[in-house]
Amino acid sequence: MKEKRERVPVNWHKELRLLPGYIVVILWVLFTFVLLGWVFAASLSKTADIFKNRVFSFPTGLHFENYIKAWGASNVSTFFTNSLGYSFISCALLILICAPAAYVLARFAFKGNKLIQTSFVSAMGVPVIMVVLPLFSVIARLNLLSSTWSNRFVLVFLYIGINAPYTTIFLTTFFSNISRTYEEAATIDGCTPSGAFWKVIFPMAQTGIVTVTIFNFINIWNEYFLSLIFANSDKLRPVAVGLYSMISAMKYTGDWAGMFAAVTIVFLPTFILYLFLSEKIIGAVTGGLKG
Amino acid sequence: MNKNRKFIIGFLAPAVIMFILVFLYPIIRTLMMSFFKIDSVTGGIETWKFEGLSNYQALITTPVFQTSMWNLFRIWFFGGIIVLSFSLLLAVILTSGIRFKKFFRAVIYLPNIVSAVALATMWLQYVYSSKFGLLTTFFNAIGLKSAAATQWLDSGHKFRALLLAYCFGMIGYHMLIWLSGIERISPDLFEAAHIDGANKPQQFWYITRPLLKGIFKTNITMWSVTSVAFFVWSQLFSTVTADTQTIVPMVYMYMQTFGAGNTVTERNAGLGAAVGVILCICVIVIFTLTNRLIKEDDLEF
Repeated sequence: MKEKRERVPVNWHKELRLLPGYIVVILWVLFTFVLLGWVFAASLSKTADIFKNRVFSFPTGLHFENYIKAWGASNVSTFFTNSLGYSFISCALLILICAPAAYVLARFAFKGNKLIQTSFVSAMGVPVIMVVLPLFSVIARLNLLSSTWSNRFVLVFLYIGINAPYTTIFLTTFFSNISRTYEEAATIDGCTPSGAFWKVIFPMAQTGIVTVTIFNFINIWNEYFLSLIFANSDKLRPVAVGLYSMISAMKYTGDWAGMFAAVTIVFLPTFILYLFLSEKIIGAVTGGLKG
Repeated sequence: MNKNRKFIIGFLAPAVIMFILVFLYPIIRTLMMSFFKIDSVTGGIETWKFEGLSNYQALITTPVFQTSMWNLFRIWFFGGIIVLSFSLLLAVILTSGIRFKKFFRAVIYLPNIVSAVALATMWLQYVYSSKFGLLTTFFNAIGLKSAAATQWLDSGHKFRALLLAYCFGMIGYHMLIWLSGIERISPDLFEAAHIDGANKPQQFWYITRPLLKGIFKTNITMWSVTSVAFFVWSQLFSTVTADTQTIVPMVYMYMQTFGAGNTVTERNAGLGAAVGVILCICVIVIFTLTNRLIKEDDLEF
């Protein structure tokens, strides 16, 4: 719910002083809107109209068939379902794996606690290129890329591994801000430490968990490099890689409208998430930094 | 205590095991690989041939790799100046008391949540298009026919086109980092300065700037970490494999090890590993240098 704000009377003198700032920001926002709006409009036009540069006036009406075509003919539906599946499963498992670890790191003093936290923080700065070769070598030698399901498993495993350090560190900060009195009360009531965590603390950390999950979802949805290397066939590719191969193909078929429709389909899920949850997403960006 | 210990280990184990499998072991192995000649990525250790530093020597003398490092440096350096200054400017504007701050902030960050492939396609196929592109339309509308006729994606303009498009996508993220720093500065300081007659630029120079040193470091570190992983944009902007205008080390490594294209005469995964190690060293050097050069004065605020 939006909080009701008291109307601040417009102080024209102050606003005038801020005018240069307004101009910069408004131009910036305008450009972003034109960029995204044009692509969206183009996805509803005919390729011929795009080339005549008459995208916003829709001289031949709205062409939703671009979407139907892109969705059906160009594998977009496969890429889309793949990405959806990978993202959901990885996000859920990430929480199951990272939340308990984060809780222990935030609450218990033991040998190695600091070391683990420092390692996780440094892992966030390690370029993928530094880990990808051995991963590929081991996974290929285990013959995991030969069957569809083991290949899917590999992708989910990697998405989890790559995002685990950030998720853990983010949640560690979050858990350390929850008062200890809750577990103390739970323990007095006869809860085991792990029972206290799952029944009392975990539900209380909901906001933090939701925030980091949205962030993970967007990251995994947009992940490119690992998917490019590890997804072995079109059947397994997520949207980012699939879109790339489609764009390369569309250059030859000349179906620009279809290409923009595909771009829109790829971009829409994260965009819709963002429309509703931009505050949370922005919070996750800066929240993960203070490690 | 013993019971607690079991509990701690049980809770930590999955995350730590993931870390060891996906980070620790691969990092050590990549480091080792960089000293060997390895014909196939999937070859076992018994097939590796120890060659000391020859992979590094080979890389340093390879013209394509030199070009890729030079391109990466230009992206890091010029892109860094553009992104960090524009993002700071936007952050300062947003905190100067303008209306609709949250809306502006959300829109400026928006490009960061869009898949890089989709965003790069928008730029390539729309903004830079010579037929119906935004730039062409815009320059035609204001009557600059010669600018409108520019081929933004020919080899003379491509690198700058790539840099501009990439920077646009990154500014939102760095703006958020700046914002988090600026918002921590107590408004009392600005108020006091305002009463003393300091104008906005003066307030920025004498209050915001010195207090933002720590955030500046964070920004440089994050910028360097993402720059090093530069890949998608380069792949999308290059029309041929090993396009000297846009090639970056990670693309080179991808070609080298996974053999995309015919430019690679000999496959050697050890070279790919060495590229990774070099990039890592770059990040560490930048990190240490910024820590040395920018001393945080531990100001309380």
